[in-house]
Amino acid sequence: MGASKTTGRSLQHEAWIALRKNKVAMVSGFLIIFVCAVALLAPWISPYPFDEQYLDQVLAGPSERHWFGTDSLGRDMLSRLIYGARISMAVGVITAFVSLIIGTAYGALAGWFGGWTDSALMRIIDILDSIPSIILLILVKLVFEAADIIGNPELKALTSMLLALSLVSWVSLARVVRGQVLQVKQMSYVEAARSMGASQLRMVAQHILPNILGPVIVLLTFQIPSNILAESFLSFLGLGLQPPYSSWGVLANDGWRSMSSYPHLMITPGVAIFVAMLAFNLLGDGLRDAFDPQMRGRA
Amino acid sequence: MIGRLWGTGTALLVASIILLSFFNYEIPTPLVYLTALAFFGGAGVFIFTRGLTIYVIKRCLGAVFVMWVIATLTFVLLRTLPGGPFDSEKALPPEILENLAKKYKLNEPLINQYGDYMYNLLQGDLGQSYKYINRGITSIIAESLPNSIQLGVYALIISYMIGIPMGILAGWKRGSWVDFSSMMVAMSGQSLPSFLIAPIFIMVFAKQLGWLEPALWEGPTYYIIPMVVLGIRPAAVIARLTRASVLEVIHSDYIRTARAKGLDQKTVLFKHVLRNSLIPVLSLSGPLAAAILTGSFVIEQIFAIPGIAKHLVLSVTNRDYPLILGTTLLFSLILVVANLVTDLLIAIVDPRVKMG
Amino acid sequence: MVLFKSVFISCLIFTVGLTACTKKSNLEYGLDVKDTLRINIEQEPPSLDWSKAVDVTSSLVTNNLMDGLLEYNLADPELGVVAALATDWKASDNAKVWTFTIRKGVKWTDGVEFTGQHVIDGWERLLDPKVASEYAYFLFDVKNAKAFNGGKIKDFKEVGIKFNDEGQLVVELEKPMSFFPMLLTHHATFPVRKDLIEKHGDHWTDPDKMVSLGPYKLKLWDHDKNLVMERFDDYYGEKAKIKNILCYMINEYSTAMNLFEAGKLDFLYSLPFKELPILKTKPGFRKNILLSSYYYGFNIKKAPFDNVKVRKAFVHAVDRKQITDLLAADHTPMRGWIPPGMFGYEENRGLKFDPELARKLMDEAGFKDRAKVPRINLAFNTNENHQRIAENVQAQLKKNLGVEVQVQNEEWKVYLSRLRTDTPSIYRLGWLADFPDPSTFMSLMTSVSENNHTNWSSKKYDELVSEGGAALDKEKRRAIYSEAQKLLTEDEVPVMPVYAAARQVMISERTQNFPLNSIERYLFKGVSFK
Repeated sequence: MGASKTTGRSLQHEAWIALRKNKVAMVSGFLIIFVCAVALLAPWISPYPFDEQYLDQVLAGPSERHWFGTDSLGRDMLSRLIYGARISMAVGVITAFVSLIIGTAYGALAGWFGGWTDSALMRIIDILDSIPSIILLILVKLVFEAADIIGNPELKALTSMLLALSLVSWVSLARVVRGQVLQVKQMSYVEAARSMGASQLRMVAQHILPNILGPVIVLLTFQIPSNILAESFLSFLGLGLQPPYSSWGVLANDGWRSMSSYPHLMITPGVAIFVAMLAFNLLGDGLRDAFDPQMRGRA
Repeated sequence: MIGRLWGTGTALLVASIILLSFFNYEIPTPLVYLTALAFFGGAGVFIFTRGLTIYVIKRCLGAVFVMWVIATLTFVLLRTLPGGPFDSEKALPPEILENLAKKYKLNEPLINQYGDYMYNLLQGDLGQSYKYINRGITSIIAESLPNSIQLGVYALIISYMIGIPMGILAGWKRGSWVDFSSMMVAMSGQSLPSFLIAPIFIMVFAKQLGWLEPALWEGPTYYIIPMVVLGIRPAAVIARLTRASVLEVIHSDYIRTARAKGLDQKTVLFKHVLRNSLIPVLSLSGPLAAAILTGSFVIEQIFAIPGIAKHLVLSVTNRDYPLILGTTLLFSLILVVANLVTDLLIAIVDPRVKMG
Repeated sequence: MVLFKSVFISCLIFTVGLTACTKKSNLEYGLDVKDTLRINIEQEPPSLDWSKAVDVTSSLVTNNLMDGLLEYNLADPELGVVAALATDWKASDNAKVWTFTIRKGVKWTDGVEFTGQHVIDGWERLLDPKVASEYAYFLFDVKNAKAFNGGKIKDFKEVGIKFNDEGQLVVELEKPMSFFPMLLTHHATFPVRKDLIEKHGDHWTDPDKMVSLGPYKLKLWDHDKNLVMERFDDYYGEKAKIKNILCYMINEYSTAMNLFEAGKLDFLYSLPFKELPILKTKPGFRKNILLSSYYYGFNIKKAPFDNVKVRKAFVHAVDRKQITDLLAADHTPMRGWIPPGMFGYEENRGLKFDPELARKLMDEAGFKDRAKVPRINLAFNTNENHQRIAENVQAQLKKNLGVEVQVQNEEWKVYLSRLRTDTPSIYRLGWLADFPDPSTFMSLMTSVSENNHTNWSSKKYDELVSEGGAALDKEKRRAIYSEAQKLLTEDEVPVMPVYAAARQVMISERTQNFPLNSIERYLFKGVSFK
């Protein structure tokens, strides 16, 4: 039993060493840390309040006063971008974690118990997979939002978005976790422990979880950018966040229609989305290579 | 051997139909029949000879169950949603609202409405739209689905045409600048929402260069920007997966053996690596079809393409219950079929795969 | 190698085919650009059945396909009513009974002669509860019409429309209505061909079956994509100048704008408002004020708006001019209830922007300590424009009154159902005149109106409105409406008018005589090319 623990630890350790060698992934990692820092420090680093309207400056291009110009209400784009990072990252990260928790629990349950439980649980996943995610996203978002569970309208929009996105995105995680659990279950030491009568919960906690950690971290990293994308898609549909708060998706959706006249409205949030998503994807790639012993040293 | 010939022939027929449609030529009806015959006949023979009949029947029954659950779920979600089909800025007098409710049977108990809907559905009747007065859901689908399929198929083809060569090249020359730059391009393609890519393409290729049309759906010059924009994300996914699976195959024992035996590099690549590394890519077709379906709304909206995805989204805004249910079921059916076809294709390409 | 070869060959075919296809005929469906007006109608018309259609797009099409008993004189800024299918009309019994003389010699597109019976058939169909037409209320003031629609009267003969001995149509109303002729310009009241509807059922509006009698006829309807109208050569009035009208259904404004700039559209009527400052400088830009109102309503059952002083304070605290300046869309700031350009408009009616008075009123209302103001939600349906306005109002209230309100957007249908069930403290709505008469606005706020979500009701206001609707004498009518407006916008203040909207359109340079008007009736028969 002790041996398996060491394997687990050294696996993570080796992965870390491999990751450190990967320059692209490291740069991406720092970029992500930077974006998170910007999001956290928003109130202190943004040059103007994000909702202050400068009516003499409506739709002005980049200038010394407003580096990234102003929007259609004369609000500073840079400040809105910085505050937007908060929401976008929150949506990306929180959703990823919620779907991680649901997905891991579900997948582990299905994989561990197998048999009847497994096929019932997988049937549900089959159904969810066959509903066009776009309609599920819209309907769930609208139903949650109209349900009046939360009084504060801003919070309501945000939570309903988080819930809708999580509900759509946990399925792929559950599938992967189940596959991994099935694999680990067959390994000799797990079988040995099992035959020795170790308790179910302990088995899952001690042997399964550490072993599936790698693939899960990788998936998580890929999940965040696709959440950010899904959020921008909802903004495109007009189901985005409450004003005056706005995410990068909301800003980008505000901007693309007037690309030829006011390019700054589209370019700034566009670049922000692009850089953040690229960084997450590259980091995810690096992590995957690092966690996959077969792939290590080949990139 | 016959199987292979048959397969190639069917593929050629399908390709000719796609090409004809792309260049706006009338597609001869016999060609369509021939292709359908070749495709379904071939599939039937294949399923039978490989002993997959029971598996396919099982899957189809499963699909019917899935569709029933989805129909029920959507029905329930829709009716929990506040706002009815006849709410408008100018509120209607109660007499008129009552007439409308009577006409569309909206005043009956929900369970009866559900029963009615299911009963009609079993007979293939999807009902009438509330918003587009007097138009049947079936005719709305019949008129707009072909455009969406056209768009989706073009996007899928372009994504394979870009993604596979890129992935193979990157995997084969791993670690080189070719690898690095093509993977960076693929990643970039994945990192922007399509509603930001589309205006850039329109700006460059339609407005500045004037080569292509900025919107509408009339001919080849109209098709290219939408299909490329829709195909970018799938292309990136395909490229990355192809690269990964090429890497895996290259390091497998039999390729090492083949290389060790001194076989020509190109022979190894095309004879062994390609065939084996494309199987995982093929297995991606189902999820890719789903991604393209989801993405097509944005494209249809921006380029004013008269497709079905637009109805799927706008019908929710209008609370056009029959249209929402009809389009949702249609999309689900497409997804289910795409997954089944993908599994069968893999079985064709890789005889080792066991089904059932 | 096979793969690369096939890819290469397909690319080759691709390029060859592409060059072969660049030479295209000049318009779809074999139309010639020289005699085709290309317009964007933004969406698939939900119905061309004019008894059932309720939306702007369907109205635009059916108004060009059909004529009613009367029509507006679009050349007249006040939009007076002129003869169409009726050659003459007159009121009697203090505007309670109206008599119409039917025009002779009018032919439908299938050659059948138009008769007064077609009008009666149209009204019967509009009011038939089984048809369930949403615009049936247009004729609810006709005697027994409402009861017939509600199923309380089964026999249509009891409804107040019949022929007299001279073959004229006589309409009897429930109460006197001075503006009744205006209703007859609306497509809901147009005549129909019962014989054809019975024969073809719901498919009577298909291009090969549809029969109409207006300046254009339906030639082709390619769903979700295009619709083509062609000149009707046997039209009884002046024939249309342009042979074809090709309608596109593009609902993304920026896309339509791209096509307009590429010279592929002659007319579009929704412009991306953010770009207005730039579009204004372009040659095809035109604008006009609409008979419309954008307003906020207060739910007077919810604190603090149960206090009239608070309502007044809020209205005093919002500078409506600042909003219209911000939108830069040529809207007219509005304080009264009747919009400019309409009979009864008064420039100085309504509460002025006066932040000092606003603060004073707020103090007097018992909210000297602004923290005591209960939570206020300012609600609107999700839309960029509404959002800009709401956020600006929010900022103004904070600055001028020291009150924090919470803006809250909701999806359109959720919003509408909330207005019915649980009206927010402040809500946004708009109204576009059905006809150019102030009664369309005044009746909006009566206690029986389904559109009055404020919970405010005033017996006096109701009486004034029905009195005004009946008055034939113009000056008397003006005085009555003035009193009602004062009650609504100065004394009781359940609403805050914000602006009357302007419509901006782009018209290609080759097009002339385009009839822009304040009720958005786009009739193309007079339009011609240079």
